[in-house]
Amino acid sequence: MLELLSYDFMQRSLLAAAMVGGLCSVIGVFVVLRGLAFVGAGTAHAAFAGVALAYLIGWPPLLLAILFGLVTVWITGWVEEKGTMKLDVSIGILYTTTMALAILFIGLMKTYNAEVYGYLFGNVLAVTVEELKTISALSIVVLGIILLFSKELYFISFDQEMAEASGVPARMMFFLLLTLVALTVVVSLKTVGAILVFAMILIPASTAYQLTHSLSTLTWYSMIIGITCAVGGVLLSAVWDIPSGPAIVLLSTFLFFLSVLLSPKRLRHSIGSV
Amino acid sequence: MPASSDPIIQFDHATFGFPGVIALKDLTLAIQAGEFIGVIGPNGSGKTTLCKAVLGLMAPVEGHLRIFDCACDELRCHHRAKIGYLPQKGVVDRNFPVTVLETVMMGRYGAMGLLKRPGTTDRLIAMEALAHVGMERHKDTALGHLSGGQQQRVFIARALAQRPQVLLLDEPTTGLDMTTQHNVIELIEHLHQELRLTVLLITHDINMIRSRVDRLILLKTRLYAAGPPGEVLKADILREVYGKDLVITDKDLIIVEDYHHHHH
Repeated sequence: MLELLSYDFMQRSLLAAAMVGGLCSVIGVFVVLRGLAFVGAGTAHAAFAGVALAYLIGWPPLLLAILFGLVTVWITGWVEEKGTMKLDVSIGILYTTTMALAILFIGLMKTYNAEVYGYLFGNVLAVTVEELKTISALSIVVLGIILLFSKELYFISFDQEMAEASGVPARMMFFLLLTLVALTVVVSLKTVGAILVFAMILIPASTAYQLTHSLSTLTWYSMIIGITCAVGGVLLSAVWDIPSGPAIVLLSTFLFFLSVLLSPKRLRHSIGSV
Repeated sequence: MPASSDPIIQFDHATFGFPGVIALKDLTLAIQAGEFIGVIGPNGSGKTTLCKAVLGLMAPVEGHLRIFDCACDELRCHHRAKIGYLPQKGVVDRNFPVTVLETVMMGRYGAMGLLKRPGTTDRLIAMEALAHVGMERHKDTALGHLSGGQQQRVFIARALAQRPQVLLLDEPTTGLDMTTQHNVIELIEHLHQELRLTVLLITHDINMIRSRVDRLILLKTRLYAAGPPGEVLKADILREVYGKDLVITDKDLIIVEDYHHHHH
């Protein structure tokens, strides 16, 4: 175990996992509270389509992933605001469309490209120094913005109309939140992959949700759980020689079910109903 | 009674709605500072539209609406903070993981502005608001652990934490038992008197408020009647608006049976 930690690649992947785990679980709090869970999933697949296109035409993958991710969340937000279509329907359409585009782009490639599939399933053990720098920079930007606007983001997650009525620029904050979700997804793509990033956003926040009734405590719990699962998952994957993405997600799921069983909310409820 | 002659909210032939749908037509109405106004009317009569308009969330498609002497679409954050709002029950997720004090502190956010952290003063104002509704002992309790009436008190405290001039309450007693309904209405009356708040109270329950308000506003997609309760609550006027949903027993007691509301 200790010997493993002395390898450069292992140190890099643990650092990347900790950052992605922390970032996803903090943004996840707002995603869970504002009811945007599927926006995360939709965005991840859109970003993956961006990556596939980038490899097809020889552009930087990160750039197109961000572009595809942002366009998807903004369309989703705009549709929700207009109220012309249910959110789950619009996301469902965008999700499948972008996935179809991804498959199309991959199909158009002349040769098999393993790197593209890396973005679909994630491989934290292969994170390079360059990628680590990008992850750090984007994580600082996203967490910094969340810290600056946390009170407004909490308020719109609680009740957007109320927030707007009391003088908070709620619409702007909603689109800011969507933008941060897209950036988080893109940051995490290489590490955990398009399919599993959704779990990293959703599960730690939902686990923390079981354990507290306070907003500020919720965020701290979520972050601690997110980092623990990401780091723990990477260590498990190295020790047992299993893929890192599933290791992280299954560890998170295990903790989630544990929190449901031990939830003070649930215990209180069952005591109350006796 | 009106404290000054300048109205703080003034509708001037204002019509609200969406393309093809008129929710409230040709409303002319002036609300003076310090008034206690009850807004009544059947379902779909435009009560919620009036609410959104006063909050500055909906501009008139025709005519004018001035709030604090601003056109309503020019309302800035600091104007909005002057209107404390209690939304209808059910609009807000009551199991949201938030404590009572955290909920009330949200009332400070609008006036505080972006990029500022809540400080000691904001905390004091929030605690003062909780004291006004008699909930200061519960400040660290989870919102979801409170009863319906207590939750309403907390939401009223959040509105008070804005240090508002106007208190706008959308059906504050819906879903509460009779005793709690009375307590909530008494609290609102008390706040109106003690803090000299202008109160706009939207309700289905005419009996609960008729003896307490200065003026009643009766809506049915337009302003049907406005004035002291004695002038508005007349059998012929009410029968025209409510039709067969109106039951009058004895001489004083008026019961409006709202089937959509009670039998859903």
